[in-house]
Amino acid sequence: MIEQEHLIDLQHICKDFDGTTVLQDINLYIRRKEFVTLLGPSGCGKTTTLRIIGGFEYPSSGTVLFEGKDIGVLPPYKRKVNTIFQKYALFPHYNVFDNIAFGLKIAKLPAAEIRQRVEGMLELVNLKGYGRRSVDQLSGGQQQRVAIARALVNKPQVLLLDEPLGALDLKLRKDMQLELKRMQQALGITFLYVTHDQEEALTMSDTVVVMRDGEILQIGDPKSVYDEPINAFVADFIGESNIMHGMMVHDELVRFSGFNFPCVDEGFGQNQPVDVVVRPEDIMIVGEDIGQISGVVQSVLFKGVHYEMMIDAGETVFKVHSTIMQPQGSRVGLNIVPYNIHIMQPMTLPIDMEGGGSES
Amino acid sequence: MSQSLNLPGWVFWLLGLMLLGMVLLALVAVRRTNGIKRSYFSAPYTLWMVLFTVVPVLLIAYYSLTDANGAFTLDNFKNFWDSNYSVNQLYAQMGPEYAVLIQRGTVNIGILAYSLWMALLCTVICLALGYPAAYFMADREIKIGSTLVVLFIIPMWMNFLLRTVAWMTLLEDQGLINGLLKALGLHGAQLMYNDGAVLLGMVYNFLPFMVFPIYTSLTKMDSRLLEAAQDLGADHLRTFWRVTAPLSVPGVISGISMVFMPSVTTFFIPRILGGGNTMMFGDLIENRFLTEGNWNVGSALSLIMMILILISLSVLRKADPEGEGGGIV
Repeated sequence: MIEQEHLIDLQHICKDFDGTTVLQDINLYIRRKEFVTLLGPSGCGKTTTLRIIGGFEYPSSGTVLFEGKDIGVLPPYKRKVNTIFQKYALFPHYNVFDNIAFGLKIAKLPAAEIRQRVEGMLELVNLKGYGRRSVDQLSGGQQQRVAIARALVNKPQVLLLDEPLGALDLKLRKDMQLELKRMQQALGITFLYVTHDQEEALTMSDTVVVMRDGEILQIGDPKSVYDEPINAFVADFIGESNIMHGMMVHDELVRFSGFNFPCVDEGFGQNQPVDVVVRPEDIMIVGEDIGQISGVVQSVLFKGVHYEMMIDAGETVFKVHSTIMQPQGSRVGLNIVPYNIHIMQPMTLPIDMEGGGSES
Repeated sequence: MSQSLNLPGWVFWLLGLMLLGMVLLALVAVRRTNGIKRSYFSAPYTLWMVLFTVVPVLLIAYYSLTDANGAFTLDNFKNFWDSNYSVNQLYAQMGPEYAVLIQRGTVNIGILAYSLWMALLCTVICLALGYPAAYFMADREIKIGSTLVVLFIIPMWMNFLLRTVAWMTLLEDQGLINGLLKALGLHGAQLMYNDGAVLLGMVYNFLPFMVFPIYTSLTKMDSRLLEAAQDLGADHLRTFWRVTAPLSVPGVISGISMVFMPSVTTFFIPRILGGGNTMMFGDLIENRFLTEGNWNVGSALSLIMMILILISLSVLRKADPEGEGGGIV
């Protein structure tokens, strides 16, 4: 259902704040009806990118295209986007109804239509009958819903969401993730979502954009970003992982943790240093004598659905997730199937020094 | 000139008993809790307030309801309504044919009305000058904003009497401004001893009390709210009227009360800059106490002013129920 047309195009966007570079050459397009998430640790520039699209910051250089037109210096009130702010930024002097009606009143719509659309929105966000309440009387989750309604009632082409679920507790956050995804699909609006929560990004997005230090590291759908992280940073940031320095012996054979493992990667050359990533759930615990390697269970943590075990295999201590518990101190065998071994260029060599040679 | 504390003995007994009661209560409280509670640290302040605020107010109430001999009377308040009341009383004592010889005098009511009018003008001018200034200084984009705040504060370090007297040297006939005008070959002007000069002095002295509460309420405001308004389509003007202005109301109300109250009770500025041509209610009270030595009428006038102030405070409080604007209300 995502259309191919580029709704927003960021071309070579750079941003400096008083000499500090916040964004470096950001290139990103967002297609109509796409759910794009900017993911990264705090200070990576994801919120700045969002604010540039919202019009609250202007890029130091580069072009922002909206439906093919340059909107670089257009003020926020002339843009067809609406924002849900980090702490909602509801107007404390208005009640719920007037908060949601704010944009419609500015647009000078007839009172009857405003009433009808606001009531419709209250229903959509499950706040029917809350119109007369003061926003201070609402819980965090309810305030969140008002903020969503206040933005969506204007029928924006793009909704920008700046860590909208950050202040909610875990259970509510999970519910709201599904709720937001449902609304996005029902209304057919393009969402640009900013978060530092990788699980949230993987759950909701069509496309995940991983950022660090003002640069985009990887763009892809959630599965490809999770399964094929471009480097150890992405692997580490998205999900849990065992990251080892290794060496590519030759095509389809990699050496790490003191052993050779068959893998599926080719083209790294012979005896080249690489980074190796193995997800904890991809390491299988087998009988001591039939594993590729063996180790001793150091510690066991119960995590609800699975156990997290640290297994000492001599050179490396592996983090392993399994639904079956192995007692502490027991000796087990470990197997890793070839396509679960992810090999990437080592992080110590900056990617751009490779002449753009980082494969995607 | 002034009159000594000719209070009847029982008033002193009452005050003594009050103080003794407080000391006893404090001792009992300490014994009960076997230690020092945090609230005890407020004891010096409480004592100060009782001695220098509560007791004087009670004394004013006492004087206003008694005559020179200490007997209960409401005549002092009649003096406010009819400034010739005392004179007529004297005539009346001479015989029935002299009763109500002089028409009701409206001098006192007139002075009160004039004071309220001047205070209103002063407040409106302070608001008109102060809001834009506060708005400008609170703008985060303007780097010199905090410097301006300091510049606003520095004159306040000086005593306001001195600052008012300083205006004299500027405004008087041989003063700086007239000197400059004459040097330029222009006619000098009578700048002092009129309402304008009094108003100027009042605005000059009270303007910071308008600027700072508004400045505080503006800087306290979440800048995201302004972004949210713009995000929802409001340009700068509409953002101001729909978000900034309503959210700065507590500061404006606080500013109004902090300017209006002292303006009504001003008594020094009119004397210096108005030169006795203008008299405000504060001067009237001061006259009754210090010039006439009539503490009873003076107290009655003070009480009337206090009640007026309390009424206006409660009106302002209605408009700002949370008392956010600095807590003066």
